[in-house]
Amino acid sequence: MNTDEIVRRSKRTVLIVEDELVNQQLLGFILRGSYNVIFAKNGQEAIDILHSEEYRVSMILLDILMPVMDGITFLRLAAEDERIHSIPIIVLTSDNEMELEAFQLGAMDFIKKPYDMPDIILARVRRIIEFVEDREIIKDVEHDPLTRLYNRSFFFEYSRRLMDSEKERSFDMLAVDVDRFRIANEVYGRAFGDQVLCTLADGIRQILQENMGIGCRADADLFYILIEHGADLNAILERIRGCVRDGEHQSILRIRMGAYCQIGTDHPVGWYAEAAGSACDSIRGNYQTDVMVYDEALHQRELMNERLIADVDTAIEERQFIVYFQPKYAVQGDRPVLVSAEALVRWIHPELGFVSPGAFIPLFEENGLISKVDNYVWREAARQLCVWKKQYGLNLQVSVNVSRKDLFNSSLCDLLRDIVSENCLTMDDLVLEVTESAYSQDTAQMLQAVNALRDAGFKIEMDDFGSGYSSLNMLCLMPIDALKIDMKFVRNIVTSKTGYRIVELVVEMARALNVPTIVEGVEDQEQYELVRRVGCDVVQGYYFSKPVDAAGFEKLIEKEMEQRG
Amino acid sequence: MLTVETLRDYGANVKEGLGRCLNSEAFYLKMVRLGLSDENFEKLRTSVEKKDAVAAFEAAHALKGSIGNLALTPIFNPVCELVELLRGKKEMVDTGTLVETILSEREKLCKLDA
Repeated sequence: MNTDEIVRRSKRTVLIVEDELVNQQLLGFILRGSYNVIFAKNGQEAIDILHSEEYRVSMILLDILMPVMDGITFLRLAAEDERIHSIPIIVLTSDNEMELEAFQLGAMDFIKKPYDMPDIILARVRRIIEFVEDREIIKDVEHDPLTRLYNRSFFFEYSRRLMDSEKERSFDMLAVDVDRFRIANEVYGRAFGDQVLCTLADGIRQILQENMGIGCRADADLFYILIEHGADLNAILERIRGCVRDGEHQSILRIRMGAYCQIGTDHPVGWYAEAAGSACDSIRGNYQTDVMVYDEALHQRELMNERLIADVDTAIEERQFIVYFQPKYAVQGDRPVLVSAEALVRWIHPELGFVSPGAFIPLFEENGLISKVDNYVWREAARQLCVWKKQYGLNLQVSVNVSRKDLFNSSLCDLLRDIVSENCLTMDDLVLEVTESAYSQDTAQMLQAVNALRDAGFKIEMDDFGSGYSSLNMLCLMPIDALKIDMKFVRNIVTSKTGYRIVELVVEMARALNVPTIVEGVEDQEQYELVRRVGCDVVQGYYFSKPVDAAGFEKLIEKEMEQRG
Repeated sequence: MLTVETLRDYGANVKEGLGRCLNSEAFYLKMVRLGLSDENFEKLRTSVEKKDAVAAFEAAHALKGSIGNLALTPIFNPVCELVELLRGKKEMVDTGTLVETILSEREKLCKLDA
């Protein structure tokens, strides 16, 4: 006997709700050979038994006319009761006129009095229990267990069926996502995250009821909704947000929506859902826009992204990535001294020409390809630094960017160590820039990875400080050797007193922590004077030089050597 | 002494009644005795005396189910007639000799069991 068979044959429990002893005993006698049988004399007793959860009841046989609580009242209460409504009910009656009302209230079948022969009663009970159990299994398979919305694959299937049967109507596909959900989950715990998802699903259910649509939880915090075209998308998002906003801590979450309007039949439903998802992703972190409709521009951008992803390996092989260097000057002495350079990648594509780093770096950070590019840049930068050291004998550092994704690589430390030794450098020569936002997710793991790099002798600069959501407390925990203040602060330093004061405070704080400060994005004399006055140690920006290729940087080295005499 | 034979002679549809009891004579006879002691017979008598049509209907309706299941035809048939006469009635109607028939047929069986 296989497992399915064992489960099928295990005895189910049938509850007989009947006040007449003869009828009760007779049914019990018929069913006892195949089922565990329990009895209640009226509807109230039945409810008490079902609520006690002492028994897992697979079927209720229900008389209609009973004292205390009759069968019709029981049916009404059962329909509203989560613990009872999924249990199938067969009504026992000698009156035909009760049938319609009982069916409308959820009864699945009837057994007439006087009873049919036992074989017929047994067959009916067995058939309905099997049917309902199968239905429950199907329900479990097609629904997300947490939110009870459909899961992705059944949603796609039912969406297609809905559209096939409603050909004269047009539909919109919506994607709803939560910004920073993973962080909220980490900070407030899994139970909070689950609560948010359930609340969000409740909001979506309301929308579905009002708009005759269907919805699903597609993945983690991503939901899809199919509704008839024409609804006000902003109003829908606002309704869903309203549900979530009521809960504790939930106001910290931002919910955004992407849409593909009037979906067609050219692609599978999943394609339109992904398009809505892309539209939704395109406004991640963009606080100006909450609803984005998929359009031709977005489509073109996606095609471009796919192209860039497809071309990355060839680009590395054919050395299409060029490393540029932007100088960093120590500014607190008598004159600015060239001390370092940040290695920055540029992509000269044979067909597309210059590809902006803004077009491919965030894309590759998202899908993990950034590690390939980083690896390439580290090697190129180290090789170039080795050449300069031999050529000029100058003490110069080069800093390279280490992406969050790289920090998950358990062999990162060995890899960087190899690059350093292969190019006759020391750990001090190759400085690692880790962006602030890398620390704010998976904090413990990031700390561990950065500590391992420092233990190996590498120097760590915290990049983009002040651009994200890092807490000041995190600064105390972070193992860093320099703080790189985000260029956004520099823009405010001239125009606003507060902006100036903030930079001053950050510098003071860094000094208290015994960490030097680097300011990037310094573009003109005025900014330069101010950042120097507040005490920044190192300055990087167009004021000194834009990022330049190796030949361009050599000119800066030569100029520096001339000044040193 | 109540037996399957005496029930058959009395007019019960023994084949049907026994069939519902998985052909267990002992269980069938036990159920018949339980059915004859049903308090709804007494409730029927008193509610008719008090001209309470609703209570009389309830008692007759309950008996229709149990006596029908036992296939005690001589009682079942007048019970069915009575149920239809009283259905939906707020005031007592003329039930003729139906109640007496029901009670006397029940009495007849009880005596057989004595």
